[in-house]
Amino acid sequence: MFGRLTSGAILGVEAQRIDIECDVSGGLPCFQIVGLPDKEVSESRERIRSALRNAGYSFPAGRITANLAPADVRKHGVGFDLPIALAILIASGQIPAPKDLLLVVGELALDGAVRPVAGVLPLTLQAVAEGMAGAVVPIDNLAEAALVPNAAVFPVASLADAAALFRGERSMSPAPPPPRWGPTSVPPARDLSEVRGQCTAKRALEIAAAGGHNLLMVGPPGAGKTLLARCLPGLLPPLSFDEALEVTKIYSVAGLLARGESLVEHRPFRAPHHTISYAGMVGGGHGTPGPGEITLAHRGVLFLDEVSEFDRRVLETLRQPLEDRSILIARAEVSIRYPAAFTLVAAMNPCPCGHLGDELQPCTCTLHDIRRYRQHLSGPLLDRVDLFVEVPRLAVGELLDTAFAEPSAAARARVGRARQTQWATRPGILSNADLEGASLREHCRLDPEAAQLLRRAIARFALSGRGHARVLRVARTIADLAGDESIRAAHVAEALQYRAAGRVREE
Amino acid sequence: MHRRDAPGRQAEDNACKLLRGLGYAIVARNWSSRGGELDIVARDGDILVFVEVKARSGSGFGGPEAAVSRAKQRRIAVAAKAFMARTDADLPARFDVIALEGDDVRIHRAAFSLDDVWPTD
Repeated sequence: MFGRLTSGAILGVEAQRIDIECDVSGGLPCFQIVGLPDKEVSESRERIRSALRNAGYSFPAGRITANLAPADVRKHGVGFDLPIALAILIASGQIPAPKDLLLVVGELALDGAVRPVAGVLPLTLQAVAEGMAGAVVPIDNLAEAALVPNAAVFPVASLADAAALFRGERSMSPAPPPPRWGPTSVPPARDLSEVRGQCTAKRALEIAAAGGHNLLMVGPPGAGKTLLARCLPGLLPPLSFDEALEVTKIYSVAGLLARGESLVEHRPFRAPHHTISYAGMVGGGHGTPGPGEITLAHRGVLFLDEVSEFDRRVLETLRQPLEDRSILIARAEVSIRYPAAFTLVAAMNPCPCGHLGDELQPCTCTLHDIRRYRQHLSGPLLDRVDLFVEVPRLAVGELLDTAFAEPSAAARARVGRARQTQWATRPGILSNADLEGASLREHCRLDPEAAQLLRRAIARFALSGRGHARVLRVARTIADLAGDESIRAAHVAEALQYRAAGRVREE
Repeated sequence: MHRRDAPGRQAEDNACKLLRGLGYAIVARNWSSRGGELDIVARDGDILVFVEVKARSGSGFGGPEAAVSRAKQRRIAVAAKAFMARTDADLPARFDVIALEGDDVRIHRAAFSLDDVWPTD
């Protein structure tokens, strides 16, 4: 007596098809799951036993062997509960085998109810890619499964529900149409109008949001660095549908989608505390490595407040993902690549006491202290920062100023237009921060005056090749914000200002 | 020895009656092998059932079920293996426990299985 079903496992943010074979034979009662199951998969035996009985089915006597193939992939998670239980019912003749190939996933409660699981979006995508007839998913995961175009999705609330589906007692209802795309709300954020003064920093924030440039803010405590960063989610351009799908896949795998949430609407804004571990930042952990903060910030912003307090080793791990836009986590058993295309926004004090360069409050740090503090940010890491901006202490007048400050909505509109321009005119580029080499030369045409200014700046500031590229990229974004096709001298001049302010290492 | 077993013997007789009433056929009683003993071996249709009978005169000590410890299960499983080998049976099998406590009778179908007795992980 034999039953067969299909399910899937998650590797990174992709799904892999797993075939479940179940054999019920004579002999002493024994229920085994083979095929490299992790602890939580082995434990599913107890849930399955109880769920079958409590849902009114009989748990077959004799020897039951469930095999998860291919046997060389480590299986983890609780999503195999439902397919194994159904395969047992098929093998013991309690329900018929499905006529079509279906991908089945779900966790079982002891009473036979089906609980939501992580990774339903990539699993459903995989089912479509493999040409399966549909996917049987927990009802609480319906919203994300329904995102997949051309997928027949069968939501089930219980084991009995799924069994009824196999018996043909439930109509194979077509999947609900994918939701109409378009963010319906403004992301929660502080508003720029709350920030007093700090015009340069606000402008830098806008440029960072428009071009996806990495940003470092340096200033004394209380100047508003954190508040500025908290405004950023409200400035970021809306996600495209494909980007939203990518982000949703990650949050689906990480189990961070709210119940009933389908698409992640807003660009992620992740602000890990500086005590974060290496594995928390880049991903890892026991068994199959999970996504870290840099992956959760994919297509969004990773904000590191008090960046010099972070473990230096943790900071250095950011170098490769900042370059590659992804991270490869290699373990003896498995290698997983997670996407990590994020914009880095960091804030720090100029020195340990925070008052270096402050006219009113003297700095009490020794030169040695300052040097050690700054060394936390290595040259290679700083090299990847396009925008440096100083956030100075506010003057008395600025602090008490109650004049109108521009709200975030206005900046967001400019940012959105600038990002649209980038997508429309630079195919293959997600934001100006990705411009490099040939694409940089092609898209960053300078008018004669601008070219002359840049030539002088290269000589005057001893710009390296990389420094030069940085200025060009930022100037491109400034021109996009202004709606100019070619880069003018004013744009270059402004771009130069964001590098000049940031001689964090050299000072 | 025999005297001391008398109440247990009585309980097993009662259990057999109960099983017959449920339509089981009794295959063997007090079947023992080197590793352990089976109180009752019965047939429930196409299923071979190894029944452990436990009786308690009064309450306390957690009821008769508590007496079927992991070690006891292991001895039953060893005996059941021997029985299966000896009788050349290839039927699906099940371990039941019948608990008798005063007038109260409880049947635990599929009370345990080999993966409980010898966990693989």
